[in-house]
Amino acid sequence: MDVFLQVLANGVMLGGLFAIVSVGLTLIFGIVKVVNFAHGEFLMVGMYLTYLAVSGLGLHPFAAVILVVPVLFLLGALTQRFLIQPLLAAGDHHIQIFATVGLSTVLINLALLVFGADIANTPPSGLRQPLQIGPVRVLLGQVVILGTAILLVAGLQTFLARTRTGRAIRAVAQNRAAAELMGIDVNRIYALTFGIGAACVGVAAVLIAPLYPTSPNSGTYFVLIAFVVVVLGGLGSIRGAFVGAILIGLIDSVTGFYVGADMREVAVFGVFLAILILKPSGLFGRQLRLSHVSP
Amino acid sequence: MTDIPLTAAPSAGLSAFPRRGAAALALVLAALVAVPVAVGNPFIYHVFITICVFAALSTAWNIVGGYAGQLSLGHGIFYGLGAYCGMLLVGAGISPWIGMVAGAALAMLVALAISYPCFRLHGPFFSLATIAFLEVFRVLALHFRDLTGGATGLMIPLKFGWAWMVFRDRWPPLAIAFGLLLLTLAVAWWMRTHRIGFYLVATRERESAARAAGVPTVGTRLVAVAVSGALTAMVGTFHAMYLTFIEPAAVFSLTLSIQIAMFALIGGLGTVFGPLLGAVLLVPITELARGWLGAKALGLHGLVYGLVLVLVVLFLPNGLMGLVSRFTRAGAGTRGVQAGTVAAAPRAAERRPLGEAVIRVEGLQKRFGGLHVTNDVGFTLREGEILGLIGPNGAGKTTVFNMISGFLKPDAGSVSVRAPDGTWHSPGRPADFAALGVGRTFQIVQPFAAMTVEENIMVGAFYRHRDVREAREVARETAERMGLAPWLGSEARGLTIGGLKRLEVARVMAMRPRVLLLDEVMAGINQTDVRRAIDLMLSIRDTGVSIIAIEHVMQAVMALSDRVIVLSSGQIIAQGSPQDVVRDAAVIEAYLGKEFVHAHA
Repeated sequence: MDVFLQVLANGVMLGGLFAIVSVGLTLIFGIVKVVNFAHGEFLMVGMYLTYLAVSGLGLHPFAAVILVVPVLFLLGALTQRFLIQPLLAAGDHHIQIFATVGLSTVLINLALLVFGADIANTPPSGLRQPLQIGPVRVLLGQVVILGTAILLVAGLQTFLARTRTGRAIRAVAQNRAAAELMGIDVNRIYALTFGIGAACVGVAAVLIAPLYPTSPNSGTYFVLIAFVVVVLGGLGSIRGAFVGAILIGLIDSVTGFYVGADMREVAVFGVFLAILILKPSGLFGRQLRLSHVSP
Repeated sequence: MTDIPLTAAPSAGLSAFPRRGAAALALVLAALVAVPVAVGNPFIYHVFITICVFAALSTAWNIVGGYAGQLSLGHGIFYGLGAYCGMLLVGAGISPWIGMVAGAALAMLVALAISYPCFRLHGPFFSLATIAFLEVFRVLALHFRDLTGGATGLMIPLKFGWAWMVFRDRWPPLAIAFGLLLLTLAVAWWMRTHRIGFYLVATRERESAARAAGVPTVGTRLVAVAVSGALTAMVGTFHAMYLTFIEPAAVFSLTLSIQIAMFALIGGLGTVFGPLLGAVLLVPITELARGWLGAKALGLHGLVYGLVLVLVVLFLPNGLMGLVSRFTRAGAGTRGVQAGTVAAAPRAAERRPLGEAVIRVEGLQKRFGGLHVTNDVGFTLREGEILGLIGPNGAGKTTVFNMISGFLKPDAGSVSVRAPDGTWHSPGRPADFAALGVGRTFQIVQPFAAMTVEENIMVGAFYRHRDVREAREVARETAERMGLAPWLGSEARGLTIGGLKRLEVARVMAMRPRVLLLDEVMAGINQTDVRRAIDLMLSIRDTGVSIIAIEHVMQAVMALSDRVIVLSSGQIIAQGSPQDVVRDAAVIEAYLGKEFVHAHA
């Protein structure tokens, strides 16, 4: 029983990790309607920045937030402004996919050139310390990640629901043309949203770097899981992404323990494919209503 | 009244391109063999073999990613299946040539199994699904290590000679790689210039319009993925033999899959020779960086790839081939063309009497949520009859059209169509309606934007003519009749709304339908052309075609219709001769409100 509880606890902790990586991705998809294939590389960039700040400047990882989050916000906003915005008018999905795939390729290889293929280990700064909670044992850093993920989800929800800017963002997501007619600067909102999405992954990077090794390919693993999470939760739904992340974390952990560590990805991607094909709107996604006029 | 030009700058046909293009292509292909043979350096041989391999992979990918517009980022699956099939059979003492065929067959099956459920996914979701399948294959290849050798990979036993596809000389692998490239290019070219290619592009551009034109959209795309997967696997088998070593991470690789797609995009998505061009220009960068700079340049070639990709996406969305064709067409395309007019159609002296019923609609019902959009609609259309369908906005006219062409399933009621042999059928899908000779146009025009006007009409003509030349002939005749002849070579996206409306009619006319459903085809056409279009419709009717026309241009409704049905709030509120219907109090009320009726009473 204790073993099972431990497996569940690991799953929830992993879910928190997946959630914090996925929140920004789902936000960008929900508002800008672009699937950002470079999201994982944003995470990787953030992890390297954290590594530099902690081992170079001797900062505590948490203090690195002041550096990493603004840089990623800028990276996101600039990506939107100079890469995505020129392509939005074309409305061609192929081109948008290739744009972010290209950006992802650039960032991975830039990291290879600068840091080499070797793994960079950010000093754990006490975050690897185990915590005994009842019958289960988890790492301090994992608890911090889960807590931050919850705060981030709640914070974003409140921001979108309550603030003037948040309402503008939602208006743009629902009807771009109408929002523009109401005097909202759509391009500014898009850049802001992309920036916020990237900043979220910056927060994730700061917390993940002390626990996981950093390499140019770090992002690839996380982003694939993030796509699974976001599709499962319903693209664009922040709350859905959180629930999806916890579910995927549990599936990963349970399969890993009871079936075999190397079969975890098969289970996770199996769920992903089933959801994509059978219920593409995900668990919390809104049903897409098709106009009857153009079949 | 002057005619409005349909397009700003109609470009002349492609006639200038083929000859120079063919010469350039021959030159590139010859260089791929001649340069390494002339230089004789093993490293140069290696670079050129790699170019051939990636050009072939990319060309095969383009059949799905370019023609069909299904952006696969999982082609590593087929490459890997080919590689493993070849390797495992060689391990069992079977020649890789047989492995190549077996791998192709396996890849074909896997491609069909994977793609069928994924075709309902569009844009990025299809790409994500292919990535997920790729990951599953990679993990499974790692897991079943008894079969695949797991992470340690597989090495071929060094048996030399043609039977084993392993050589001491440098030229035989080049010959095989070049042969595979020629094969993929030939297949890709054949597909693009025959009916299937037109069908694939039409489906990519507008799936619903393609279905209305009788295109078997799912079947056509399945053929495309099967062919693409098989070709990719064949190259995979050869490449494994050439590299002599494979491992799951290297073959079921996302980076490889992205690279394959990348060359095609950079060269020109959906063009026959774009992927070749992309590979010829980019592969040497990788190989030279590896050969000259070694480990120091780790990531350099990837960085260049990524940058080139981003730049192409931003500034050359049609790829390098787009640049080439812009260059070669620059001098030819700008001369002004007189606006075409709908050809004045010769009218039969005497009208044939109306024939038997061809369509019977009974008790149609449709609800969208709480909205009752079609309420007990029933009518009959007779052979050679023109039935006008009018009603205020939101009356449910297009919904009725969608139900009598298979695009929408009625909640209740039936639609029956009489076949030429006199039997009655209840078709379900758009393809079934097309098969019975029911053709339709769309109110919101649905051109295949990236195709020329001629190619658009050809998609319709292919329904009756499999042969490209015949279909082209029919398309030209139809274009002539519809006044579209001057724009045969222009892309449909350059047409004005009036031109697009004509194109809609031309495409469906090329199918030679027995029943024509026209959804507001007169909207946006100028006065002169309305007159001519009316004559055209009448001449079409005189050939025995029955027509149902949704129309707001009352001049046309009055002149054309034998009978008019008025829909309002989903119900038929009046029907009869056009003269009677426009005087009907209920109709006037539906259009103008109660007050108007009282004011006149």
